[in-house]
Formats: sequence, C-alpha cells, structure tokens
Amino acid sequence: MKTRFKIYKTIGLIGLFIVALTSCTDDLNITPNDDQTTLSEDLFKDEAAYKQVLAGVYANLALTGTDGAGNSNLKNIDAGTSQFGRVLLYVQTLSADQMIWSYENDPGTREIQRNLWTAQNPLLLGMFSRAHLSIALANNFLRETTPEKLDARSVSTAVRNEMPAYRAEARLMRAMAYYYMMDIFGKANFADETTPINSQPDVYERPELFSFIESELLAIDADLVDAKQNEYGRADKAVAYMILAKMYLNAQVYINADRYADCLSYCEKIIGSGYTLANNYLHNFMADNNTNSAVNEIIFPIISDGFTTQNYGPTTVMINGSVGSLEVNGSEVGVSAGGWGGALRVRKQFVELFDGSFNTDTRNTIISEGRPVDIDDISDKDSGYIIQKYSNATSTGGFGVDQTFVDTDFPLFRLADVYLMYAEAHLRGGGGSLTTALDYVNALRTRANNPNTVAANDLTLDFILDERARELHWEAHRRQDLIRYNKFTGGNYNWAWKGNGSNGISLPAHFKVYPIPTASMAANPNLTQNEGY
Amino acid sequence: MKTTTKSLLFFLFFVPILMFGQTTLTGTVTEQSTSIPLPGVNVVIKNTTTGTATDFDGNYRIEVNNGDILVFSYVGYQTIEITYSGQASLNVQLNEDAAQLNEIVIIGYGTTTKKDATGSVEAITSEDFTKGNIVTPENLLSGRVAGVSVTTSGAPGSGSQIKIRGGSSINASNDPLIIIDGLPIDNNGVNGSRGVLASINPNDIDSFSVLKDASATAIYGSRASNGVIIIVTKKGKSTFSATYDAQYSFGELTDRVDVFTGNAYRQLVASQPINGTTLDESLLGTANTNWQDEIFRNTVSTQHNLSMQGSLFKVLPARFSFGVTNQEGAVLTSEFERRNLSLALNPSFFDDHLKINLNANLSFEDNRFGDSGQIGAALRYDPTQPVYDPSSPFGGFYQHIVSGNLANGTTNPVAELLQRNNTGDSNRSYGNLNFDYKFHFLPDLRAVLNIGFDETEAKIIDFTSLSSRIQNLDKVNSSRGFQKRTNKLLDGYLTYNKTFDNMRTEFTVGYSYQEFTNEGSNTGNVRDALSLPSTFADPDVVLIGFFGRANLTFLDKYLLTLTYRRDGTSRFSKDNQWGDFPAAALAWNLSDEDFLKESKTISSLKLRAGYGITGQQAFFGANDIYLNRYRGGDSNSQYQFDNIVIQSLIASEINPDLKWEETATMEFGIDYGLFDQRVSGSLNFFQKNSTDLLFTASVADGTNFSNSIIQNIGELQIQGVEFSLNADVVKKDDFTVDFNFNATFLDREIKELALGQDVRTGGISGGTGNNIQLLREGFSPNSFSVFKQLYDNSGNPIEGAFVDLNGDNVINDDDRYLKENPGADVILGFQSNINYKNLDLSFNLRANLGNYVYNNVNSSRAQYELLQDNAVLGNVPTSVLETGFQRTSDVIISDIYVEDASFLKMDNITLGYTFSNISKHLKSLRLWGGVQNVFTITNYSGLDPEVFNGIDNIIYPRSRTILAGANFKF
Repeated sequence: MKTRFKIYKTIGLIGLFIVALTSCTDDLNITPNDDQTTLSEDLFKDEAAYKQVLAGVYANLALTGTDGAGNSNLKNIDAGTSQFGRVLLYVQTLSADQMIWSYENDPGTREIQRNLWTAQNPLLLGMFSRAHLSIALANNFLRETTPEKLDARSVSTAVRNEMPAYRAEARLMRAMAYYYMMDIFGKANFADETTPINSQPDVYERPELFSFIESELLAIDADLVDAKQNEYGRADKAVAYMILAKMYLNAQVYINADRYADCLSYCEKIIGSGYTLANNYLHNFMADNNTNSAVNEIIFPIISDGFTTQNYGPTTVMINGSVGSLEVNGSEVGVSAGGWGGALRVRKQFVELFDGSFNTDTRNTIISEGRPVDIDDISDKDSGYIIQKYSNATSTGGFGVDQTFVDTDFPLFRLADVYLMYAEAHLRGGGGSLTTALDYVNALRTRANNPNTVAANDLTLDFILDERARELHWEAHRRQDLIRYNKFTGGNYNWAWKGNGSNGISLPAHFKVYPIPTASMAANPNLTQNEGY
Repeated sequence: MKTTTKSLLFFLFFVPILMFGQTTLTGTVTEQSTSIPLPGVNVVIKNTTTGTATDFDGNYRIEVNNGDILVFSYVGYQTIEITYSGQASLNVQLNEDAAQLNEIVIIGYGTTTKKDATGSVEAITSEDFTKGNIVTPENLLSGRVAGVSVTTSGAPGSGSQIKIRGGSSINASNDPLIIIDGLPIDNNGVNGSRGVLASINPNDIDSFSVLKDASATAIYGSRASNGVIIIVTKKGKSTFSATYDAQYSFGELTDRVDVFTGNAYRQLVASQPINGTTLDESLLGTANTNWQDEIFRNTVSTQHNLSMQGSLFKVLPARFSFGVTNQEGAVLTSEFERRNLSLALNPSFFDDHLKINLNANLSFEDNRFGDSGQIGAALRYDPTQPVYDPSSPFGGFYQHIVSGNLANGTTNPVAELLQRNNTGDSNRSYGNLNFDYKFHFLPDLRAVLNIGFDETEAKIIDFTSLSSRIQNLDKVNSSRGFQKRTNKLLDGYLTYNKTFDNMRTEFTVGYSYQEFTNEGSNTGNVRDALSLPSTFADPDVVLIGFFGRANLTFLDKYLLTLTYRRDGTSRFSKDNQWGDFPAAALAWNLSDEDFLKESKTISSLKLRAGYGITGQQAFFGANDIYLNRYRGGDSNSQYQFDNIVIQSLIASEINPDLKWEETATMEFGIDYGLFDQRVSGSLNFFQKNSTDLLFTASVADGTNFSNSIIQNIGELQIQGVEFSLNADVVKKDDFTVDFNFNATFLDREIKELALGQDVRTGGISGGTGNNIQLLREGFSPNSFSVFKQLYDNSGNPIEGAFVDLNGDNVINDDDRYLKENPGADVILGFQSNINYKNLDLSFNLRANLGNYVYNNVNSSRAQYELLQDNAVLGNVPTSVLETGFQRTSDVIISDIYVEDASFLKMDNITLGYTFSNISKHLKSLRLWGGVQNVFTITNYSGLDPEVFNGIDNIIYPRSRTILAGANFKF
C-alpha cells in the first residue's frame, strides 16, 4: 500500500510539475522596466503627459534622440548629424556660396558642398527622415488627443482648455515639416493622423503640398496663441504667418504662381504683431538669445542648452566649427580654445559682399588676418576667411554652461528676415510701400551700426539678395534665396567649389531640388525619383 | 501501455513475494585495462525489468535466482552477459568498445553515442582540447572543430567571436547558443567584464559538444540557428584524486606599426611635404621617442588551479576547484585577474534511481582596462617629444601646450594610460541543480529537472587624475557604474527508452522556461555639475519552450530522429510570439551491412541526411519594440518651454509585426572510420537558408517614429563543406602520433535584402560615420564598397583619381564597387600530438584563405596632411612614402586599402615531460613549456591579418608568449 501511495504521489507531482510549468506562458507578455520608457496606455493616466508629448514634437527639431546628443532615433546617418537644424543648414547653406566644411571625410559633406550629391547622400536622408519624423510625431499627438480619447480618459477641463492650442501647434509643426520638404525635395510622403503605422502613404508633389500647407495654416489660425503670447520655445500665430509668407514669396518656384501680394500681407501681419529688432545684431546669435533683446526679434527658435538640451545642432556646430585653425579663438566664444580645429570657413563670394563700406557693420564678423581669401584646397584649414557670428557668450559678458554644447538657440525665423521679405515682395510687385521697404532695410543697417543707409534707387532685387546674405548668412536660407533668383543652378552665378570647380562651374537645372533618398524611396514605392537624378 | 501495466503489477505484487526466494549478489565492476571501478554500470536480469546500477565505487547489489542471466552494460563498453550460478560475489571487468564509436556524445536534453548520432555533432573531450595559453574556455576549441571559428583579441582575458558555420544572420546575432551544464547562457556580457566566457575557468571544463546542423540543434528551437556549444563541467568522483596546475607565461609584442622615428620625422617635417600648408618646424622637439614602445610592455601572467575530487563522508561524490588567473595586457596598465571557485556535488539515491548533480560556481573577475584607443594615439603622437617633462603642469608628463592650455589634438598616450584608472570588478555566480530520476515502477522512464541560475554583478570605476588637465577640471571624468544581469532557468523533461525486437526507441518530451534581466546605473561624472546620474533597465526577455524528440533505431543500422520544438519569446507581440521548429534526420550505418561488415579497411561508415528549421529572435535593439512606447529624454535631452525644462516624451519606433527569423538547414554527411578506427572523420555538405531575416530596414518616412526599424525582410544563404580527419599515425605502447585536420569551405550570399536596397555597414575611423562595407543582393555580406584606384604609368596610385565606373563624368558614390569580403573562403585547422615514452609534444596550425581586410590604419592615417594634428604636429605611418598621399578624404574609400589577409598561424606548440609514480602521494608530475602565437605567415601589410569583421582599425595586438607549466597529480 505504501508503494501505491508513492506512485500516486509521484504521478501527482509530475502532474503538478506540468501544470506549474505550462501556466507561466503569460510571462511572455512583458512591460518595459526602464524608468525612461512608458507604455502609451499608462502614459496618459498622468495629464501632464499631453504637454510633454507636445514637447516631444517640438523637441524633434532640437534633439536627435532621448539619450544624449550622440543618440538618434534615425538610422543610416551619424547620430549627432541627424539634428534637424544641422541637416537644414547643410542643405540650405553648405550647398551654396557661404560656407565650407573642412572635414570632407564626414560622409555626405563633400558631395553637398561641391554639389555632387546623389540619392545615396546620408545628409539628405537625414533631412528627409527628420522632417518626416516631425510629421509622424505630430500625427501621433493628434491621434492621442481626439475628443473621443480625451473623453475615454476623463481628461480634466483645465487640460481640455489647452487642447485646441496644443493640437494647432502640432498641426503647425507638421505643416512646417511639409513646407521644408516642398522646398528641398519637391515632394513628401503624405501622412496625416489617419495614416496607419508602417504603411506606404501617398506622395504629394509641390502643388498638393502647397495647398495642404496653406489650408492647414489658415485653418489653425484661430486656435493658435497670438504672436509673442505663447511660451518661449512654442510656436504662435506668427510662425504660421512666417511659413505662409515664405511659401508665397517662393510660390513662383513651387507652383509657378505670383503670390507676392499674399507674402507682403503676411509680412505685415507679423510686423504688426509687436516684434522689434534686437538692440544688437549679435544678440540674436548669443548664448542668452532666449532672454536678451533678441526675444523681441526671434519668431521661432530651435532650442539649445548646454545642460538640458544638448545637441550637435547648427549653433553647436557653427560655434565650435568657426573657431579658427590659426586663431585658436574658441575661448572668445565660450567653447574650447581650439574648437573643432577650423571645421568651418567662408567662401570668397561671401567675403566680397562685405567689400567696401562694411567695416563698422556688426554683421561683418570676418576674421581674415594671415589668411588667403581663396580656398584652393578644402582640407587646408588655414586658407579662406572665418567668421565669428554665432557665439556661446552672453550679452552680459558671461558664457554658456558647457564648452561644447552651446546655450545658443538657432533663430529659425526672425524679424529681420520678414523685413527683407517685405522689401523683396514689394519689389516683385506685391504692393506695400517703397518707403516702408526702405525703412525696414535701413532699420537693419542702422541696427548693425552701418551708417550707409540705402536710397530708393539702391533698392533692387539684386541688392536684396546681397543684403539677405549679409543679414541672414549661415541661417539656412541661402539655397532657397538663390533658387528664387535663379542663381543656384545654371551658370549665372558661380561661386567657389560650385559644381566641384574651385572657381565654380554651372549646375544642371535639376539640382534645384534634391534627390529623394534611395532608402526612403525603397520603403515607399509611391515615391519616385526627381527628374534628372 | 501493456508493458507498463505489467511492470506495475510486477512491482506491486510479485516483487515482495519473490524476494524471499532470492539471493543477494554483490560485486564490483571495473574497467579492464585500468582496473578503475566503473560507476553507473547497468546491471539487469535479462528479460526482466529488475536491475540496478553500480555505485560510485563500482559496487552493485542485486537480488538474483539461480540461472538468471545478468547483463552488465555501460555506454562505451562491450556488454557482458553472465549466468548466475550461486556465486557469493561476482566481479566483472568491462572492455572498452571498439574505439570511439560508442563514445558518449552530449546532445540537447540527453545523450547519444557517436554511432547513433544522426546529426552533425562533434564531441571534444579534455584530451582533444587545444593546448597552450588558454585563459577563456572557447580557446580550448580554437582551430579544433571543422566549421567553428574562434577569433580572440589580444586584450587580456578578452572575449572571442565564435562562429559556427559562419553564423546564420546578417543583422541579428551570429553567436552560437552556449549551454553550460544545461543552462543556456546570455551572450551579452556586462560592462566591467571582458566577456561572457571570461569568467569561466577553462580548467573546470570536461567536454564540449558542438551541435552544428539543424537536426542536432532544433531541440533548442529559437536559439539554435547559429549552432550550439554544450559545455559539460567536471563532476565529482568517488575515488580521491587531486591536481594542481601552475602556468607562467611571458609575453612580448614582436611587431609594431611602422611610423617615423624622431630623426626621420624631423627630416620629413623639414621637407614640408603637405601641399599648400606649411608645417611649423618650431613645434618640433629634440627627443626620439618610440611611443609604441612606451605604451606596450612585456607581460607576465600566471595561472594556478587546484582541484580535488573524492567522496565526502564516503557517500557524496564531490569535486572542488580553485583557480587564480592573472594576466597582464600588452597595453600599459591593462590587466585581467580572475578567481574561480567551483563545487560539484553528485550524489545518488534510491539505488541510483535518483541522481542529483549540483554545480555551483563563483567567479571574481577584476579588470583594469587600458584604453586601447591609446594605441592609435601612440601611432600619432609627435616622436620628437619626450614622455616626461619635469616642468610639465600635467603631473610630470609632457603635453603640447598652446596658449597656456592643453593643445587640441592628440595627447600623450602614456599620460592618458597612467593617469586614468578604469577598473571593472565583475562577480558572477552561476550553476545548476539537476535531478535525474529513474522511475521505480518504470525504469525505462526518466524524469529530469534542471534549475539553473546565473547572475553577474559588475562595478565599474573610471577615474582620471586631475593632473591630466589644467583647465576645465570639472570635465575630467570620475564616474562609477553598476550593472547586473540575471538568467534563470527551469526546465524538465521525460525520457522513455524501450527496446523492442529489432527496434530501439527513445522518446523525450520537455518544457523550458528562461528569463533574462539586465539593469544598471551610472553616476555620471561626479566632478561635473552638468553630468547627472542615470539608470537603465532592459525589458526582461522571457523564453518558453516545449520540445519533443523521438529516436528510432532499427536493426542498429537505420536511425531516424524527429525533433520538434515550440518556442515562445517575449520579444514579439502576442500574435507572433510562438514559433514551431521541426527537424528530421536519417542515418544509415552502412558498415553494419553484411557487405561491409567484414571489411578490414572500413571499420565504420555512416551516411546521414538531415533537415530542420531553427529560429532566431536575438536581434540587437529594443526587446519591446512591438509595444506602443514613449521615451522621456535623459537629463541632457529635455526641451524647454519658456526657458523652463519640460520632460519631452517622444514616441519610440514600433513594429508590432516582428516575428522569428528562420533558418532551414539541409545537411548530408558521411562519418567514416578506417583501419579499426585509426583513421576517422566526417565529410559534411550543408546549406542554410535564413529567411525573414531580422533586419533593420527603411520604413516609409512619416509612418513610424524612425526611418528604419527592425523588420523581417531578406534572405541569406550559406553553403559549406566540412571535412575532418583524425588519424592515429603511430600507435605503440610508448610511441604515439596522432593528428586532426579539419577544413571548412564557406560561401555566404545575400539572396534577398529588404526592399532590394543596398545597406551600408562597417563603420571606419576617419571622418564621422564613414562606412566601407555594403550589403547587396547577390554578394557576400559586408563586401567592401570602394572606389577603383587609378594608377599612373609607373604603377603608382594617383591621389583622388578613381575610375568613373558608371561613365557619367562625375566621381561620386555611384562609382563605388564591391571588392571582396572579410569572410574566409577556406578555414583550415591542424593539430598534432606526439607522445614518446614520457615525452609529449603538441602543436596546432590554423589558416584562413581568401579573407580580405580593409587596412583602416593606413587609410585613415597614412596621409601627409595628418602631419598637422590640429594645433600641433602628429606622426603618420611610413607607408605614406609608398603612396605619397596627401589628403585622407581623397583616398579613404580607395580599393588600395582592401588587402588579401589570408594567413597561416601556428597558435601554439608545447613540449612536456611526465614523471610518474614519484611517491605514494604524488602520482605524477608533468613539466611543460611552450610558445603561444608562434608565427604568422601572411601577405597582409598591417600588423595582424586576423581582425574582427574585416576592418583593421588598430587591434589590440597579440603577444608572442613563452609558457612554462607544471601539472601535479595526487
């Protein structure tokens, strides 16, 4: 009997063993352990999350990832280089006549600055993907804040009252991303909040993008916070107006239409919203441009902070990069003495814009001593002039908190640009008044400590283009400006290293838009390559 | 069922009655040639289920009746049948069975014999281990097994890249599954440790089984695609023995990268070789410093191992070992020290019905990491400057000073090494508890339960002396880190063995549960107010499997193995969690057929064919990518609204559709033995097709929260042939010569890539984010993507001039072509052992043929412009004289840097002499000496052709080491 008992016990044990083992399969359904990661179903239990997710949409312009400046949520491009403002600076400024990058073994830079790019270029992939990530993040925010979802989560009235503005800002960020895609690539994957994850979306070309962006920006106008009334770092009505004004100014390029009058009227709207020029031109480019007089001028910044918002974005790159190889002048601008060893210099054609009566002009930050103006060999960091426009120093004589990651915000949109757009739109037949245009242009000169104001007969379109370069160089506008003036491609205007010739050679017309990155095209068969590539 | 019922009845009712009429027989079973008692020998009364097994002293006790036929059987030995005729005791001697054919081979969840194995399984026991300077266990296999390549860096105690049959994946893991005493270990190490195997004492290892084809590995289902290495550690024995091993080694680097000497450098700078730039000769110093000599050193390393086996309290077989390994690295300050404690208890109960095996191991690994990046600095640092400068503010080390501060550019590598103390202490405890129960009422049925545990905790301290800088002292790093990984296993299985007339059967069913965790923290730089502490915790990985296997052997000649595993992983969403992995294999022992049975030449011949599907889920990246997650920025990745920090939450990339990567393996093999097994080996043909590759590929921009996520796209095919030959060339009492030769031919081809697009890979130094390799359909993975160099009439390369391959008159990325790949076409291994009387000599040779290497040392360093190093001067390799190249960016992608790196290496040669029967207590003493890393024959121009992934970007150099050791047996 004892044995029998033993057998039952054994069989029982085996049975128990099997049951115990097989019941653990639920363990396969895990949840994240890291305190930085939260599941979406848990996230919105805390109402503060809505604003934080909105901050994430904005942060995509400043950060490349969530884990430091060397981390990126994009792939196939160097992490630090994938920052929005950085790639924007490369495609809009490095590709033109103002800037040279010395380290051509950094992938993609050589092809961009010598106009040799192909669809393989990692920097172009970075631009295309980063802007589309803004679209995806904005769509995600819109999906998570529908009235149905807010109802289901019983969101408080206080947060609901904020929601129209939040949602309008997300749509504004999305429209802005589409605006850049329209300008740079001429097309984009069109995804909105209804587009499923990992699908292959439709592609919008310039005409569809133009009308979409325009209608979106007009539609959100009522919900956006009034100009200058939102928190610094968040977008307001003026940002929407700025994008509209820029679209209208370039409408000839985008959709072959004359919209200069619309441009001018949106410039007026912005100017009428209470913006004023900073006291000092250079305040716009200093470590405290988020608090000094530039806050009245900057319409929309890309935030950078040496402690809390570290990135290898345009300001960090330009401040470290423009430290001279000979001058070793980094400590003047609040970074390490050697900076990045002379990574950035300017091309001769840019220097020539300051020939003559620009010695006192504060926009002229050229350092030329001991340097030849010509750059015969791009890797020779001692040739070519350097500039000292951006700085990690404050207007009060202090410095940013970190010696690599600067505190200087990148002024993506600022009032001076609007002034010059007004003048240009006027000259292109958009209405307004010549006196006002002159006043605006001269206001910039006066502010820059340049006594040589211009008269009515000086105010030509070519003058505006040059003045835009003097005022707005290294602010990621140049390629767009040159294309509008039909000087980017063709042989009308050749600058050093254009088309890979040290004195510049003509570029084919298809270079007015960049090629669609191969990887992006492969992932969405609806995307076709731009003509000529 | 009938048999079972019968057994039960027999057991329950008749046994007690019969017992009265029986005699108790006792005796001892020993091994014939050595007279060593054999434990675990099955003693069964023929045609009954009554039986027992010998204990650890070879003793047995069984109730018998006159006329009963006793069957003594033990795997690896000839079975003996003796009729009981009333003897009081019966001592039996067993004879070893014909050579290795019945050698036990450990396979997944069980064992088989060489003869019965249907898959491609190779067992390597301690006699076969690769000898020499073995610090980590995988090196015991180095060059020893066809299809297995082990590449170890020169760093002390460093991990190795182990590949079986070239892996099976592109983006996901190519590491084999490593199982220690039934516990699959995590292939990811911790910071602070040199590698997952670095903490394991090779001296504790008894044998390896390498499972190569799917029919052998499929029982491990989802983790089997890259092959399986089963490690069995040494167990306790009932007879007492003890060993003590001591080894001393003296290492020296025999080669340097040729850079300019101080004098030559001064001349070079004076010649102003950079076009358009004038070097400042006033920066030159007067010293002649060979910086490589300054940072490299001759090393002394020691290993001591003490082990004892015996029976505790006469009933508990146990083994205890203690090992201390201390290895100095060739780079100044780098050091590896390990202490291992290991305990094995192997008791058995209820007449051996229940066997318990406990393995408990503690390992304490103390590392000091000498930054191997300083090797690059040593190539670069100005050779005209001294190492020390008494007036230097940098703790007495010379440093370039510009405007009162440390100059931008390379810093003194000796100072960098000596002023930084980067240590990692990793404590690991691992082991398992195994219950093996043979049912009392049904001895054909065994239940095995295995509980395994592996936990590693590591502390990292990284401290740099403040004297290394004179400004920005708050940026001088001082940080501490902590990491902990755990791995818990519970598995169990039932095995049923039954022999019918002509049919032997074995059925196994089981279940496995395993969970991995990983977490840690870092203080950040405690000197820097801007650097904040951080923590991390990976999502747990849980793997659950159900498995079964049937082995059917008909007439001892025809074998069939069927395997099935159903695996679940926490890495995929609920819909894709489970995968099914079946395999089947057939084998035919041709030599047992009548027409070969009498052959004097062919002593064994087996044909094998197998097919199976295995899986892969170990991709690199988020283990929870299928979940809808948000990630908050760390302390440096926040946003600001109104100049006030706001935590920004960014949605994380997501792929809810991710599923298993699958590898289908087909294999045909021949196992042969000639001349009474004096010559034996295998020939295998295999093809692996991995589909649904876990591959990071583009997603349509704007539809996900990245531009590229891990997906299941692509196909990789690996075809290969393996050949092995073991030969006992001379086999006399006092003179033996044997050798093992193995050859592997591998061909890897990408059949399909995600969206058909090329993927750049293989990051190189020189530029930010440069890649030199490409994945492209129709080519081997990681082929080099380069420009075709143009040469002038005298055959010298023209700087920056490349062939316009697509003929569009522009040289851009579209003109890069694929030249060769880093994988070897042929891998050869050769070992030989020669014994003459008490003298033993062994050596091994290893060769890789057709492997190409991108010489990143030359491509990113041997250009004249690099003589200017930011604000100071820098050295360059003398190979610049051959090319005369000026600019790195002009030439870095040139095919001139892709070189054939085929090599032949003698890893080791050892000579030993054994003194035997020295005294009553000291049974033997072996003294030996040897050389590790004896020679390398290659045409490769860099330091060492054996690099990782085909990119030679300054490897940690491998020292030539003189070894001396003593081995005491008590």
